[in-house]
Amino acid sequence: MSNTLRPYLLAVRSTLTAALCLENFASQVVEKHNIPEVEAQTTKEVLLNPVVISRNENEQVLIEASVNSVRVSIRIKQADDIERILCHKFTRFLTQRAESFVILRRKPIKGYDISFLITNFHSEMMFKHKLVDFIIQFMEEVDKEISEMKLSLNARARIVAESYLSQFA
Amino acid sequence: MILLEANSYIIEESLLQRFTSEKHEAVDIKLVDFDGVTYHLSTPTSRTELHFSMAAPCFNELVSYGAQDIIQREYGTYLASATEQGYHCTFVFDLEKLPADITALAKKFGMLKRNVFAAPFEKAFKEWETELEEPGTLMTIHYREEEAIYLRANQDRVTVIFSTLFKEEMDRIFGKVFLQEFVDARRLPSIQNAPQVLYSNREPPLEIRHLPNLKDDESVGYVTFVLFPRHFEHPDVREKTISDIQLFRDYLHYHIKCSKAYMHSRMRARVQDFLKVLNRAKPDRSSTAEKKLASGRSFRPSPISLRPST
Repeated sequence: MSNTLRPYLLAVRSTLTAALCLENFASQVVEKHNIPEVEAQTTKEVLLNPVVISRNENEQVLIEASVNSVRVSIRIKQADDIERILCHKFTRFLTQRAESFVILRRKPIKGYDISFLITNFHSEMMFKHKLVDFIIQFMEEVDKEISEMKLSLNARARIVAESYLSQFA
Repeated sequence: MILLEANSYIIEESLLQRFTSEKHEAVDIKLVDFDGVTYHLSTPTSRTELHFSMAAPCFNELVSYGAQDIIQREYGTYLASATEQGYHCTFVFDLEKLPADITALAKKFGMLKRNVFAAPFEKAFKEWETELEEPGTLMTIHYREEEAIYLRANQDRVTVIFSTLFKEEMDRIFGKVFLQEFVDARRLPSIQNAPQVLYSNREPPLEIRHLPNLKDDESVGYVTFVLFPRHFEHPDVREKTISDIQLFRDYLHYHIKCSKAYMHSRMRARVQDFLKVLNRAKPDRSSTAEKKLASGRSFRPSPISLRPST
């Protein structure tokens, strides 16, 4: 792990652990409704200050907490066109499977690549520390996966070009 | 399978099947090939007379560069007097009077598309043989809807320019990576003799810059192959060069599709991994599911158990 990655992930981990202090909270605006307050943004007093943790301008995490839900948005590193398209495809692939990823949000927040929404029901159903582990592991592996895909693309391109041109040699 | 073959396997296979079958049956098959080429295999008059037709979108252009001569030369004995409606050339086989080597015959017709498309290449190489003083004519083959091959013979080389179009953003970016490698690959000592490859995005090369109707868009790229005399002096090498260069676009796109498929399977595996990690967060409930009654039978609370027993 590089020098800046460790403190970055550590900061995300402790912020998330602190933010995941959720309880059941019925809506004060609409009767008999129980909605994630970060999404609704209707009751000011139950929203906490959003926290941005950034490693650099291309990689950051936005954590928005409220009384009954936390929204985590991740911006993934995209250095060039290839990484941009790979990242786009990968996040699209994930969000299309949001039903099985209970905490995944179908659409990322503007300016970020992927968002998670954890409500009090999720934190009641699942272990809190394992949820945090999941997010951290996701952040670690997404970068790795994208750079590996990029490498494999380049390697394949090289082999393809060489074997085509060596027909003429 | 990294490289593609110039012959069409399906044509060979279907022809061989008709040639070898004991009982001649009526057939009516449509086949397709690269670059919008379609074939029609049928027995319209009698069961022993097999008709085989081909249609290519740019056939008229190919004819103007001498495709008809090639067809006459290679397949003259089988050429039908009347061309089938909607197709560009038709061949007839009498199934009762086939030559001894039917495998070679099927193979030969498997190369039909390759031979027809070879016309402008042969013309360019012939032009070069005349020891041109100035560049020869620029030949254009619009082999796909928005893509074309441009060919021109020069004093010391023949240039082949492909205009490529990528419909999708992902294809465009992958294509760029692949084409850049084609340009760079020549630095390797083992393939120093390969034709020089140039690639430009959006900007057409000098040879074709004067042409009208060139699409000016990010999605368009131009790949130039500079063939040197060593690629077409010797007749055998010339035939091979023609086959290889024709397949360039198909080869490129085939590998772009392959990498996309690979990425897809990779992402699928990765998503499975992530799901596993997420499911670890759920507490294990399996221990609570198995509750036993005092009698030793297991107890499953379900709506069925509420029904009166019969």
